Amino acid sequence: MNSRVGVAITPSVMALLLAILMGLPILWLAGAAFTAAPGGGLGASMLPISLRDTGLLMLAVGALATAIGLVAAWLVAHYDFPGRAVFEWALMLPLAIPTYLAAYCFTELLDFTGPVQSLVRSVTGAGTVADYWFPQIRSFPGAVIVLSLVLYPYVYAACRAFFLMQSGTAHAAARALGATGWRAFWAVTVPMSRPALVVGATLAMMEVVNDLGAVQYFGINSLTAIIYSTWINRSNFGGAAQLAVTIVLVIAILILAERAARRAEGSVAPRDGRVADARIGLTGGRAAVAIAGCSVLLLAAFGLPAGQLLYLASRQLTVASVSMTSGPFVTTILLALAGASVTVAIGYFAAHLSRHPSRTARGAIRLAALGYAIPGTVLALGLLQPLGMADRAINSATRWAFGWTPGLILSGSMAALLYVYAIRFLAVSHSTLAEAITRRGPSMLDAGRVLGARGLNLFVRIDLPTLAPALAAAGTLVFVEIIKELPATLLLRPLGVETLATLVYAKANTALFAEAALPALAIVAIGIVPVILATRLGARRKV
Amino acid sequence: MVVQTVDSRAAATDRVAPPRVRALSLETVLTNLLRLAGLLAAALLAASPSAPALAQGGEVNIYSYREPGLIQPLLDTFTAETGVKTNVLYAGDGLLERVEAEGELSPVDVVLTVDVGVLVGGKDRGLTQPIATDALERVPDAFRDPQGNWTALSLRARVFYVSRDRVDATALTYEDIARPEWKGRLCTRAGDHAYNIGLIASRIALWGEDKTRQWLGAVRDNLAYPPTGGDREGPRNILAGTCDLSITNTYYMGLMLNNDAEPEQKDWAGASRIIYPTTDDGDGTQVNAAGAFIGKYAPNPDNANALIGFLLSDEAQQLYADRNYEYPVVPSVQPSELTRSWGALNPSSVSLIDIAAHRDEAAAMVDELQFNAGPQN
Repeated sequence: MNSRVGVAITPSVMALLLAILMGLPILWLAGAAFTAAPGGGLGASMLPISLRDTGLLMLAVGALATAIGLVAAWLVAHYDFPGRAVFEWALMLPLAIPTYLAAYCFTELLDFTGPVQSLVRSVTGAGTVADYWFPQIRSFPGAVIVLSLVLYPYVYAACRAFFLMQSGTAHAAARALGATGWRAFWAVTVPMSRPALVVGATLAMMEVVNDLGAVQYFGINSLTAIIYSTWINRSNFGGAAQLAVTIVLVIAILILAERAARRAEGSVAPRDGRVADARIGLTGGRAAVAIAGCSVLLLAAFGLPAGQLLYLASRQLTVASVSMTSGPFVTTILLALAGASVTVAIGYFAAHLSRHPSRTARGAIRLAALGYAIPGTVLALGLLQPLGMADRAINSATRWAFGWTPGLILSGSMAALLYVYAIRFLAVSHSTLAEAITRRGPSMLDAGRVLGARGLNLFVRIDLPTLAPALAAAGTLVFVEIIKELPATLLLRPLGVETLATLVYAKANTALFAEAALPALAIVAIGIVPVILATRLGARRKV
Repeated sequence: MVVQTVDSRAAATDRVAPPRVRALSLETVLTNLLRLAGLLAAALLAASPSAPALAQGGEVNIYSYREPGLIQPLLDTFTAETGVKTNVLYAGDGLLERVEAEGELSPVDVVLTVDVGVLVGGKDRGLTQPIATDALERVPDAFRDPQGNWTALSLRARVFYVSRDRVDATALTYEDIARPEWKGRLCTRAGDHAYNIGLIASRIALWGEDKTRQWLGAVRDNLAYPPTGGDREGPRNILAGTCDLSITNTYYMGLMLNNDAEPEQKDWAGASRIIYPTTDDGDGTQVNAAGAFIGKYAPNPDNANALIGFLLSDEAQQLYADRNYEYPVVPSVQPSELTRSWGALNPSSVSLIDIAAHRDEAAAMVDELQFNAGPQN
């Protein structure tokens, strides 16, 4: 009885500690929000517009990215057609393209001075946009399409991992009972993959909420853009904090509503290793349609932006541009490796804590994972002051004790970056791992325990291998996210540290995008490698 | 408990083997915590050697709001002449907040800005110390803090770029662009960007709030599309034909005309010409400043003063003029030939300090009129 009480309290306490650690910037901002003067003109005048714009953008991108991701994952998981094995990992590639780069590339391509419209003009002999019609890429629909094209891999990855781990028997049964492929898709695949859809769509929509570069580029008055300009252009920290707390509340309500809806769903049979899942072979016209669909998607979402960068980079390939890129290249990889390890370790820890029946533990973990929806700039904002205070406290302690002033060991070092990455991307690693743990079910661990495994042994021999695809997937996602992360890195990096993203930003800000193309291409290239590796690892289908 | 109290089945396991449950979970937790601590420690060790080095001589630490591409040639020359190494942290936003959070431990010696608001903000938040170099005397009173806490280093005029094909006027006033004949023809970047805030703040200083509000509302309704992009988008859209007059800083004309890396931009610039706006009453063109202050707790104050002294030297001022096409703040140094070819700058009587003083009202007005939502009537 005693041990059970201990068991009930400890995870709650740990979860709370984790929530406080991960929630520090938000708590700090909340403190600032409540002590600040009542909101100024911005809150009153722009809040309704920005709530509407953000909401519409989230819904539209969420719907489009979900549709694209689900159909693509369903195709490659359940059907066989020429090139399927390549598409299976290649469809993850757009994940390597940051939203701000995608926005830039598509605008360059489709704007007035871009090659497409130039071609239109040279063919039709038109002079200005008054002479012909062409859709405006810098518009709301343009933003929805561009964001969906680079964010659908979140849904695709979640659905594909789900299909691989899930038993195909229901789908096979539906087909055996005479349902057509489409019928089976709507009646079986879509309802059953709802948890994965929700995870993927939530991640994609959170990316929309925290995106700053692309929405600024497309001129959309999103909440994040408004928070940012309240802080930067109005020097109103309190007002920005108030808006930031608003965004956190909106996101929290969304997540709680989503969880509540998901809880009502029945669970799905885990995969039975004895039954080999046969993919249905497609031939002739159907195979052609599948190939064409995957090709067009891949070309639009990855081929166009990557090709554009490749072209620009090759135009500017010099010794100077290579040496300018090589230092930040190494820094970025090391930083992303360290950040991914820390974030996945915490995510694993959090995923286990959130399985605990204690409501406090689960609630606390949910709070801890909220950082993903918070714009990097806002997180950095909320961290600057507490980290600076901690540094001052540490320094006065060491001065008093040893007469030694170590300087900014937290806010002026890589520790600040690893910390902000963990906060920002905990949701990515946590949700991926928690989903996998649910899907795996407790039977393997139970069996291990019955057979006498315990402690570290159980962890190494059962937990780790059974979760390997999920750990790899989580690590990859976080790694790629860190390589792409810009605003928090920009604000919190130590003096003299340059990453690929900050280099791209510095160059692109001087409108020297041609010079930014090589580091931008490096971001995409680094992002590709683990995407391929993880997809391969996931494809071993060992679980 | 961590791993297995997942559901009722796991709870059943608890009853079978409670002691194991506890051992596993604590071990797992500890392993993860240790791993995390190890990684953090490694990261700290990796980063810490650089921290003490910053306090030593022979260096100057710079937080820059200015793009490195623009200041690097200046800093390279400084290092070549003095042997003082420069460490630059560039970010477009938030550096002032970082300096404030770092407090007395801040490694920053010099903060370089692109807007007077940050200079005055730095002083108001107590982040500055008086600049001690004699070179400060070279800067006219209007362009530096009376107590010497900050100085402008270069000046930029916010002007009208008009289409060569579709605009005949050779002179325009600020009031002109609020008139109905400009309906659907104006463009600029976001109203709450520092450059436009500076422009609006200067109008408030000159005209008062009521007239400025009417003017800004009319300008908003004359916009061709909601404000987006940076200062180069306007000229680019003048080429495209979606806009006839863009409010943009002067030096972008020079930067675009000489952009060999992206020659397309030469076409953008080529479609426009510059008009220096005045007011109906004859006040001149609004001028903003890029500048610098020295951090209150600067570890290398001598080098910081040496750097600012250098940036105010004839040599550096000439680089500002010739490379960046800005106006030198030192009156004896001439703007570049290209800059002079656009016409003579007759600066507005509104001082930098007046502009900074009305920034908050300007921002509130942009919000109130929902300038960024674009034309409404």
